[in-house]
Formats: sequence, C-alpha cells, structure tokens
Amino acid sequence: MSHVDDGTLHAYLDGELAPVERARFEAHVAECAACRGRLEEERALIERASNLLALAQPPDRSAPPLHELRRPRLAWRLRVPLAWAATVVLALGIGYYVGDQSVARAPEVYGLVGDSPASNAGAADSANNALARRENTRDGFATAERRRVVAPPQQTPPRAAETQKQAAPEPQVYIDGNVVRSLRDSAAAASGVVAIRPQDSRPRVSPPPTTQPPAPQPPAMAAAIVQTGTREAGAEAPRDRLVATQWAIIRRGPARDILGAEPVGIPGLAVRNIRRSPSGEVVLVEQSIDSATVIQLFQERVVDASEYLRRDALQMRGAAVGTERLARFIGGMRVEIAGPLSADSLNRLLEQVKPIGP
Amino acid sequence: MPEDLAEIYRSTYRSLVRFLYRKVWDAERAEDLAQEAFARALVHKPENARGWLFVVAANMARDDARKAARERRHLTLLKSEPDATHTEPEDQIDADTRRERVRTALDQLTPRDREALLLWDAGMSYDEIAGQTGLARGAIGTTLARARRRLVEAYDAGSEGQHVARG
Repeated sequence: MSHVDDGTLHAYLDGELAPVERARFEAHVAECAACRGRLEEERALIERASNLLALAQPPDRSAPPLHELRRPRLAWRLRVPLAWAATVVLALGIGYYVGDQSVARAPEVYGLVGDSPASNAGAADSANNALARRENTRDGFATAERRRVVAPPQQTPPRAAETQKQAAPEPQVYIDGNVVRSLRDSAAAASGVVAIRPQDSRPRVSPPPTTQPPAPQPPAMAAAIVQTGTREAGAEAPRDRLVATQWAIIRRGPARDILGAEPVGIPGLAVRNIRRSPSGEVVLVEQSIDSATVIQLFQERVVDASEYLRRDALQMRGAAVGTERLARFIGGMRVEIAGPLSADSLNRLLEQVKPIGP
Repeated sequence: MPEDLAEIYRSTYRSLVRFLYRKVWDAERAEDLAQEAFARALVHKPENARGWLFVVAANMARDDARKAARERRHLTLLKSEPDATHTEPEDQIDADTRRERVRTALDQLTPRDREALLLWDAGMSYDEIAGQTGLARGAIGTTLARARRRLVEAYDAGSEGQHVARG
C-alpha cells in the first residue's frame, strides 16, 4: 500500500472507513512512520477545526415540546416584508394617538378595568391589557373590535368584562392622504385603543358572570404572566398591585442571571429600561418606538416547557387565539410582547426580537 | 411515524439548530427555522426525516437570508435614534470576536466544503453527507480534510490580520 491520502486519514479518524479498508490502513500505518506522523497531524487538525466550530455555537437551550410545533406560527406565514412595514407605520400613527389620549384619560381607563393606578407611562399600561387573553365567551357583542380585553385572575374561568361601544363615526387612518384602514379595524386587537377612543362615549363594563364573584383584579400584566406559566405567578399580584412599570429597574447582567440567557429586545429600538418582577422571575424590557409608544417584552425562563404547555393548553382551550400569537418561545425563554400597537404589529415585532447586544 | 419523528426531534433538534445557526448567524432565527422544519416534517411525514429536515432547513436558511436583508432595510425606517444604552461586558467581546472570526473563516470555504463540514458537525455520517450533497461517498473524507484545513488556515489568517490591525 502506498502512502495514504488525506481523505483516507480523515475517514479513518472519523471512524468512517469500511472494515476492510481500515484493516489495510492500520497495517500500513503500523509500518510507515511518515503516515503515523501525518495521522497525528490530521488528528490535531480535526480537533482544531472542531474546536473552532464550537466557538460558533448557539446557546444550548432546550427545545419546545414537539407537539407545540403542530401549530405553525401565524406570524411566520404572514411575513411579508412590505405589508409588515406598512402595518408598523400605521400602528405607529395609532401609537402616537393613543399615547396622547391615554395620558389624559388614564384614570378612566384604569378604573374601568380595576387596574392599578395610572403610572408614569400611560401608553405602556394600557398596553398591558393587550397581553391579556381575549374573551370570546360573550354574545354577539363580542366582536373583536368591541371586545374589551381583561385579564382573568389566575385559575378562574374567564371573566367577561367588556366594553361595549356605542355606534360612533368611524375614525379613519390616513396615510399620504389615503384612507388606509378604519381605526376600528386596525386597532381591533389593541385593547387600549378600543377603550379610549375619543369618539366613544364612556365605556361601560358589563357585569361579570353571576357565578363569578368580582374578585380583585390583579394587574393585567400579572394575569398575563400567569398564563405564561410563571411558577409563582401569584407573587406577581401582591396586594399593593405593583404594576410592571413600577418594577425595579435592573441592569443587563442581573437580567441575564434571571433568564439564564441574554434578555431579548427588538433590534433598532432604544432600550428604555430593564425591570425585574417582584418575584424576581420575570424580566421586562421596555423599548421606545417614540416618546409615547413603549413596547414591553416580558421574558421568563421556562424551566419545564412541557409542564407549562400542558397547563397552558388547559387554560387556553376554547379561548380565542389572540394571546397565543403574542407570546413566543425563544430557546429556554417565554417572551410576551405588549404595546399600544395592533396585534399584527406586535406579532411582527415579536418575530424580530433578538438578544440585546451591542 | 410521529413516534419516529419525536425521537428524531430529541436527537437532532440541537444539531439542526447548530447547523442553521452557522448559516443565519442568529440563534433565535436558527431555532425558529429548526422548529419550522420540524413542524413541516410533522405535516409532510417524509421518508428519511433526518435528511429531509436538513435539506428543508438549508433551503429555509437560504430564503431567510434574503428576507433578513430586506427586513433590515425596513427596520432602519423605525430607528429613531442610535441606541446608546447598550453596553457589552468585557468577556462577551472575546467570544463575539472569536465567533465572528469563525464565521469569516467559514465564509471562505467553498459552499460544498462548508456544507460537508457543517453536516458532519451536525452529526451526519459520510453516507448521509453524500446523500445530502450529492458527493460520492468516497469523496467525503477528502472534502472534509480540505474543509477543515481551510477553516483552520482562514481562522488563523484572520486572527493574525486582526492582531496586526489592532496593533
């Protein structure tokens, strides 16, 4: 046997030589010092190359359960860049609008949903409600655009508080002088928008189902986190109703410790604050689109995704799809988005999130 | 079949993510694509699921690169101000730098060499790599030998260049 070529050396070292070839190879190497030397060189090369590739490794995070993949994400299929851009532009306009309005009307809004007192960021707080589950337990009034989204308390059947809107002239959204969409349609999913539309009369709250005592309403955010399966979600709804915008501000390092990974955000948007929930398990990244539009990204480590999903499946069965589309698994994290934008826009923004980096 | 796929999912998911990561260079995107590939496999129930997954994933990664380029352009429309709040911890810089060098080095391989190397690193056998790439099985060892050598050389060359450039 003549000297072996590189391919044979690598195949041998990779354990991919057929038995006959291997025997012949080994017989040769036993007698050939030159090939033994090369064998060691190639062994080192393989190891080196393997180590280099290991430097370019994604974080090792557990996979979501396979059955979760049976529902291809809507956002994926809808990803049409131009439409996306148009939606965001549209939503930005609404965001400005809501930002202004919600500050002026905040007490009314919070009183309405039994939410926490108005905090510094009205837009962000109203956005909290967008996280909440959409209820579809109501009658014909419960069309998407009329529905007021209210987060149910943990482990209780849905509470069907809704805002019913009186017939009012439909505001229109103009872009470049063209009516793009009615505000009603475009804002349908952004509950805050629905609640505080200026042409609405004062929104009314339907009484909750009589079987349900009007239990104290935790902050909408907290309820939403409950749905994401936070293990000690109850701790997120303390008596003083600490809202997410009052959570302690932390730096990125501690956030990373909580999540076991870099916190995520939407690339290109300024990070306003990183906060930590009172229980220390949920990280909130606040990002500004503009001074009145804050996007909130609630993120938590999912230790046992299958456990979460089972619980989630129980809670979500029969519920509208809204909440599901606003949350996403990213590696070992569950990320939920909230903001005064349409669900569609939030969805697309959620698709963009990446670890916060330089 | 779902049982088979469940097993493949357990054994291959991480490999597929890694494979994709070195194509899209974004961990979340890689995970999304891997999950999407498996979601499609659940629907299509391919015969050779493992090979099928890598083929589909590679195609999606290619499409994704184009989409990502378009979306980056759109996102710049949203940027109101440069983001000054980000700071990068020191230890992260080294890891990022090294990863970038690996990426640059991988980019210097021929597509075929790179594919073979990434597939091998994803845990594929020579037979499987041959099936994926269309190379003869007997050529895989040679291909991998060349790919590894070039990767190491390109990385070292890049590191030296970096060193010189930084003084």
